[in-house]
Amino acid sequence: MAAPCKATVVLKAVKKIAVQFCPFESNTRSTREFLALVGSEKARATNINCQVVSTVKHDKSEPVVDVTYVDGEQLVMKGANLTCSEMMSAFQSRCTNKDPQTKAAAKK
Amino acid sequence: MAATLFAKFVPKHGNGHHIYGWLPLTQTVRHGSKAVTRHRKPLHILKQKLLAVTKYIPPPQPFPRGAYPSESDHNQEDNGLMLLQKKDLKKIFEDYKMIAVVQNNCGNAEDMVILKHRLHKHGISVKFFPNKVTRPFLINSIYCNMAPLFIGPTVLLVSKEPKVKEMLTSLRASPQMTLLGACIDDTLLSVQGIVSYSKLPAMTVVQGELVSGLTMLTSHTASLLQRHPAHLSSLLQQYIKQQNPNNGTEASPTAEQAT
Repeated sequence: MAAPCKATVVLKAVKKIAVQFCPFESNTRSTREFLALVGSEKARATNINCQVVSTVKHDKSEPVVDVTYVDGEQLVMKGANLTCSEMMSAFQSRCTNKDPQTKAAAKK
Repeated sequence: MAATLFAKFVPKHGNGHHIYGWLPLTQTVRHGSKAVTRHRKPLHILKQKLLAVTKYIPPPQPFPRGAYPSESDHNQEDNGLMLLQKKDLKKIFEDYKMIAVVQNNCGNAEDMVILKHRLHKHGISVKFFPNKVTRPFLINSIYCNMAPLFIGPTVLLVSKEPKVKEMLTSLRASPQMTLLGACIDDTLLSVQGIVSYSKLPAMTVVQGELVSGLTMLTSHTASLLQRHPAHLSSLLQQYIKQQNPNNGTEASPTAEQAT
């Protein structure tokens, strides 16, 4: 349902991804699916320096995804009311914007 | 762009005249643009127009597809495999004292094998069950509060002895496994609960501490009584003297008031 269009997720322009959620809440589905996609081996193999950190809490807080890019920009996504595909599209659009050279070269 | 293939180049006449002619073995083949190319061949304009005209336009959706859960197909019959898996789950919850739920984002089997090996050394086994089977099973049992944990790729780590510290160290070694919660001795614990459980001392130590705390007073009294009776009698006399000055001072004002 929520798999991205591209086969792999490219993390070249990303420095760190911090995902925090509370698994006993019911609004964490999209965040957990996002974590599964981003933390997979294929995605991590695209950039070994990128850290994917997941924190599990129990304080009824909202699920939050905090992405820090290589050039310092931060993307904060509150996944309580977002679907996984929305989060993925927002994340990947920014990734492709940040890293145009390698992408254009790969496409050509 | 037609070219001719020389299938056979045969002299028509003898050697003396050197006149070479064309036998009907020549074949004319149209070539130059292949149908199957390695790159993406640009579409012919007519084909492009046809595809543009016949493109599929989906009906406008009021909300995106994944936003609301589907209403249909809530009651589906359990096929044989699901029944078997539910029986397995029931057995697991009866046999094993510790059941931990972990989300695994690892894609390759190598990491999984290494982790399984590390956990097997401590007697922890790794079980895989589809969420579609575990969720209805849990909701209908007493463990209904565990049901929201089972979303996405989840793995069960089960063991007969609650070896929490070893499990935590092995999970810390593999960064892509995220511990979500555990059910230890029929008690549902969150991650912080699991960490504090691992820091608890052993049962015997706790029992010893409790017993010593309760019997502190009585042991004190017992040790006092075991000393020499002369010591005890001197202590009691001192106690009476302490009481007496209080009694003496209290008795005289009451006597003055009386008189």
